[in-house]
Parts: sequence; structure tokens; C-alpha cells
Amino acid sequence: MTNPSKNGTGMIEFRGVNKWFGQLNVLKEITLSVEPREVVVVCGPSGSGKSTLIRCINGLETIRDGDLVVDGQRLGDAATNMTRLRTEIGFVFQSFNLYPHKTALENVTLAPIHVRKIPRIEAEKAGRELLAKVGLADKVNAYPAQLSGGQQQRVAIARCLGMRPKIMLFDEPTSALDPEMISEVLDVMVAVAEEGMTMMVVTHEMGFARKVAQRVVFMDAGAIVESGTPEEFFSNPKTDRSRAFLSKILRH
Amino acid sequence: MIWQQLQSIAGSYPLALRGLGMTVVLSLISLVLGTLLGFGLGILRTGGNRLISGAIGAWVDLIRGTPFLVQIFLIFFILPELGIELDAFTAGIIALTNLAACFICEIVVAGIRSVPTGQVEAALASGLSRWQRMRQVVLPQAMRIVLPPLVGQYVLLIKDSSVVSAIGLTDLTRVGWLVVQRVPNGLLVFFLVGLGYFIVCYPLIMLARRLEQRMGAAHGEVQL
Repeated sequence: MTNPSKNGTGMIEFRGVNKWFGQLNVLKEITLSVEPREVVVVCGPSGSGKSTLIRCINGLETIRDGDLVVDGQRLGDAATNMTRLRTEIGFVFQSFNLYPHKTALENVTLAPIHVRKIPRIEAEKAGRELLAKVGLADKVNAYPAQLSGGQQQRVAIARCLGMRPKIMLFDEPTSALDPEMISEVLDVMVAVAEEGMTMMVVTHEMGFARKVAQRVVFMDAGAIVESGTPEEFFSNPKTDRSRAFLSKILRH
Repeated sequence: MIWQQLQSIAGSYPLALRGLGMTVVLSLISLVLGTLLGFGLGILRTGGNRLISGAIGAWVDLIRGTPFLVQIFLIFFILPELGIELDAFTAGIIALTNLAACFICEIVVAGIRSVPTGQVEAALASGLSRWQRMRQVVLPQAMRIVLPPLVGQYVLLIKDSSVVSAIGLTDLTRVGWLVVQRVPNGLLVFFLVGLGYFIVCYPLIMLARRLEQRMGAAHGEVQL
């Protein structure tokens, strides 16, 4: 088990981070440290700032004040090369965002070839292996429009893995999927977690949280309200707001 | 009488061919240069720099909001006053290229803006540089939107090239003016001139139509 009390060694470190959208304080005094190889699930009602939280980590959103240090580099510092840092952070979107004009294999190999400068033949070999790993060996040459939602999301995960990132961020990866496709995506995510990836996952899939997360972070109205092991959080939520939230999502 | 006039017109076919050649050469050079410049301007216009973007926007509005005949007069008659000597052919190329670039810039901008933000975010998240995002992700998808109106724009520009006859270039339209002085049948002469333009433009019209159909069917629809 990792030790979250160790200071300054986190793979992702939020210290007093604030963010506003106009007048709206969407992230309030966020302090959170994610250790290497740790899997953190972020949950909370819609509009609570969970997506914004992880989008800050790879700079899709910028923060107003506080410190955000990722892989030892402080975001917003002149010395921090954001493009370089992003190559170490995989990001899986709710709506997949596969490149529609490229095949599954081309989606996976694009960044390795152009950013990592890996020779095409090698990148394609690695890409085929990754697609096989997510169960899509037979869909290598399919275009996204020819794939189901679950298949597209698995290609998207393979696309991230192709960069051999240190961190993977998942923004509600199963929310846009038909129910029967959710488990095929979660299975892949579990496999990635078990290989020791540092992960932050915004999701309401509590089965996934119980299975692989070391920590569940509950957010409401832009603040972290509660944080603990899945065991603690699910069996003994400490705040009214988390109890109300859990009663809603666990009812069925 | 018509027969005599037709014979007389037929006699000036070397002149007509020269005019047609001038129209085609002028259009071709301007369209190639205008396309390159237009794509460059369109990409810059959608880039982050407000100053550059604003300057391009103002120039495009200015060119789109003034008659082409006035632009060509300004280039051909005013620039020499400032010490820049241009022959009619160069002036024609500059004016047409500029016009093409401005219209194509707007088409390219619309195409780039039609690409969903999620695509740019995905490219950004995987560490692609600005140019790589444009080249690998945005432009290929924008082309679906850009190609049909681009080819349509080519047709408009070929027709606009007739305005260069005003500064004395012997293009197809000017050949019409020359011939009609010998053969006093404007209807017949300019019917043939129009036919000349139509023969050049029609294949492009067909191409635009086919592209539109093909693009609709091609991969690239974003699901959701």
C-alpha cells in the first residue's frame, strides 16, 4: 500500500489549487497527492468539478492559483514544456475522440510515429500488439465509424498506451456507452491498473473503484469533500453529501 | 449573312485560341498561388495570435467588400505611381491571386472551425505539436468541408478573370471585344465567348458535385 503522507513525492500534486469559470469557483482549494502506481477514483454529482480537476493535470484547463506539480514539473512554469509533459500523460475522453479519418491502427500509431519518432514498422508492430491486448486484433484496419462505442473506447485506451505514459487520466470513460459495453472497457482499465499505472479515473462505476482503486475522492461544488479507501467510503461515508450521493447511485 | 459572319469569326480562331490560352494560364497560375496563400491565411487566421488574425480578417473583408474591377485598377494604375512598375500580366496575376486567397481563406477557416474541439483536445493530449495537430488531425477533417466549395470557388474565379481584359490583357473576353468590331453581331460573338468559359468551367462544376457526393459518403463522420 502506498503512503499518501509522504510529502512532495507524488506523481500528481495539487496544493491549494483554485479555478474560476468567470464568477464560478469550479475548483476550490484542491489539495491532493497521487502516488506513483496509485489508482484514484474521483466521483461526485455532475457539475462538481471532477472533469475539470483531471483536465487541469494535462493542461486542457489552466488553473488560476495554487500549485499543480505533475511528474516533478510545476504547471505554468516557464521551464515546463507542456507538449513534452503531455506525452507522459494518457487521457481517455468520455466521447472517445478517435480520429475518424484514421483506422484503429493509425489512431494508435500517430503520436508514437510523429511525437516519439518511433520508426513506422516498429510503431505498427507495437500498435497491433496493443490492439490485441484490448481485444481488437481483428479491428486493426477498421475506421472508428465501423466500431461500437465499447470498441472505440478500447482503441482510445490503446492509443494512450501506445505512448507508454507514466499517468493515465480517464474522464467518465463509460458514461457514453450502452450498458452491455461497459464491462469490456472496465476490464481493460482493470488490466492497465494491475500493471501498475498511475491512474485518476472520474467514474461512477463503484465496482471498478472497489476492485482496483486505492482511494476514492468525493467532490461536490468544486471542493474535495471526502477522501478514503473504497472500503471506508462505501461502507461508512462520513458526510451527509456523500451519503446522499451514494444512496442515489447505489439504489439500483 | 450569318454564314458570312460565322466564316469571318472562324477566321479569327488563332486569336480566340490565344485568348482562351490567356484565360486558362492566368486562372491556373492565380488559382494555384491563391490556394496556397489562402490555406496559409486560413491557418494563421484560426491560430492563437489575435493581431495576425484580426489583420487577416480586415484584409479579407476589404477585398470581399470591393469590386474586383476597382482592385485591378488600383493595382495596375496606382502602384506605378508609387514607383512599382507592373506589366498587365503580372498585375492580373497579383489581383486574381489576392482575390482567390481571400475567398479561399474564408472557406478554409469555416472548414477548420467545423472540426469538433474534442479532436483538437485528443491531439493535444497525445503531445502533437501545433503543426502536427493541423497537418494530421484538423486539416484532413476540414478538407471534407473545404473541398466542394473550394472547387466551386475556382469556377467563380475563372469567370472573374474576364475582368483583366479591362487592363488590356488579351484574354477570351477581350478577344470578344476585338472580334465584335469586325463582325457586328454581338449576340453571336459573345455567345461563343460564353461557350469558351463554359467549356473550361463545366468539368470543374461536375468535379465539385462529385466531391460533394463522395465526401458525404467517406469515413470521417464523427459519431455522437
